[in-house]
Amino acid sequence: MTKLEAYFHTDWAAMTATDWFGMSVTVIIFLAMIWLFYWVFNPKNKQKLEAHKTMPLEEDSSDPEKWHGG
Amino acid sequence: MQAEQHQYSFEVVKWFVYMSVVYLVIGTGIGVWIAAELAWPDLNFDNPYISFGRLRPLHTNAVIFAFGGSTLMATAFYIVQRTSHVRLWSDKLAWFTFWGWNLVILGAVITLPLGITQSKEYAELEWPLDILISAVWLAYTFNFIMTLSVRRVSHIYVANWFFLAMMIMVTYLHVVNSLAIPVSFWKSYSIFAGVQDAMIQWWWGHNAVGFFLTAGFLGIMYYFVPKQANRPVYSYRLSVIHFWGLTFGYVWLGAHHLQYTALPDWTGSLGAAISLAMIIPSWGGAINGLFTLSGAWDKLRTDYTLRFLVVSLAFYAMSTFEGPVMSSKTVNALSHYTDWTIGHVHAGALGWVGMISIGAIYHMVERLWDTKIYSVNLVNLHFWMATIGTAMYIIAMWVSGIMQGLMWRAYDDYGNLTYTFVESVAQMHPYYALRTVGGFLFFLGAVVMLFNITITIRKVATNPANKMSHVAGI
Repeated sequence: MTKLEAYFHTDWAAMTATDWFGMSVTVIIFLAMIWLFYWVFNPKNKQKLEAHKTMPLEEDSSDPEKWHGG
Repeated sequence: MQAEQHQYSFEVVKWFVYMSVVYLVIGTGIGVWIAAELAWPDLNFDNPYISFGRLRPLHTNAVIFAFGGSTLMATAFYIVQRTSHVRLWSDKLAWFTFWGWNLVILGAVITLPLGITQSKEYAELEWPLDILISAVWLAYTFNFIMTLSVRRVSHIYVANWFFLAMMIMVTYLHVVNSLAIPVSFWKSYSIFAGVQDAMIQWWWGHNAVGFFLTAGFLGIMYYFVPKQANRPVYSYRLSVIHFWGLTFGYVWLGAHHLQYTALPDWTGSLGAAISLAMIIPSWGGAINGLFTLSGAWDKLRTDYTLRFLVVSLAFYAMSTFEGPVMSSKTVNALSHYTDWTIGHVHAGALGWVGMISIGAIYHMVERLWDTKIYSVNLVNLHFWMATIGTAMYIIAMWVSGIMQGLMWRAYDDYGNLTYTFVESVAQMHPYYALRTVGGFLFFLGAVVMLFNITITIRKVATNPANKMSHVAGI
């Protein structure tokens, strides 16, 4: 067994239910993050996402008198 | 009648804002006192109630939960209404949150100097107060979520996402970390023991930093930086990556506080590896905030509130680089248990959390009370006091910490320690004195802020003619 193989060696038989649950959640989140990066930086979604960036500046524009103060 | 219903619910926000400034003064004031106690131990006066060991948790609770918590509650209630175009779902629940939170703080002020503590860092309060915290936090969270549920716009602005992450995670973290068996009204023991207790403690401890002191304050950043600069956030797509990267990343980091302990070695390595990976979303967020000023950098010449917000982002970037570096085993072997950690914490606490909060509070005061700040010059004075004070503090602690680390691990040719612990303590004195001066400057700045805001509010209260119908930039 090379040093690298020894480093990555896993005793699968020793995995408990908790270990499997933790590993599954980790892998799912890892894959979800890859998908997220792809989805967010896909040029097709740029306009849809960036349309929200002005929300704080437009919050009172519909009726400033009504929404100001309290 | 219809118009009244459409008014935002800002009265409770005003109270949270003002109390957060009061708690900033008290919290930093206690901090300066205990810093002086470390430099000049005679200041303990052999009085257990004001000894460092009892006042230190009072300082951390005052600045994190009293000041930080009040700021988070003020800003969350302010932002969710303005970005959802709807008033708070329940005024009664908001007021319960205000009085309940202040009752928790009062409980801390009474119990901690008496030595009543669970001895868990950043979670010292005993079980009756823990239950009260849970009730108040759930009321705060429920009201926020219900306000979002009745919003008049389809999209939930990213600032609210950060607040939601904080609320959900802090609920989970606080409940699990505080699980204890009471043996009397003011004494309980954790249900966890040994290394599991340590792991749970730092799973909470680092996420108190990650979610309470970062996610929530990033919510503040994503609203107030664009608002004050009057520019849209640089990249909304980057904010989405920032949010999910931070939310899924932070929960892994706690183990890096326990390098070279009884904790399995691989958990520390994993904590360090994810910490280093966290530089990516953290710097993405910092850059997103700073680039929001693209084309508007000239505003920094005259807009002192914006200066606070921008400097806070610089400290955020610096702290989120320094933290991962310190978590790596090689650097941790030098930095752990030294004042470098204290310097790092205060770069984040004073530079990031403090400055972003102060900027947000100055912004809100003008809009909530519908007036201009009493003195812009005092805001400018506050800015320089806070910035110079923070710089003095963290530089003193960096030098002190690295010196400590080097002295503690210096060996002679025979394998004996070169320096005794007492010798290292003696060497720290000038830096402890310098830290006290830096902290005192920051504290004085907070006093100036309290004075400036109090006069501003009094001027409006005594003469409504000082109100402005439209403050620029609303």
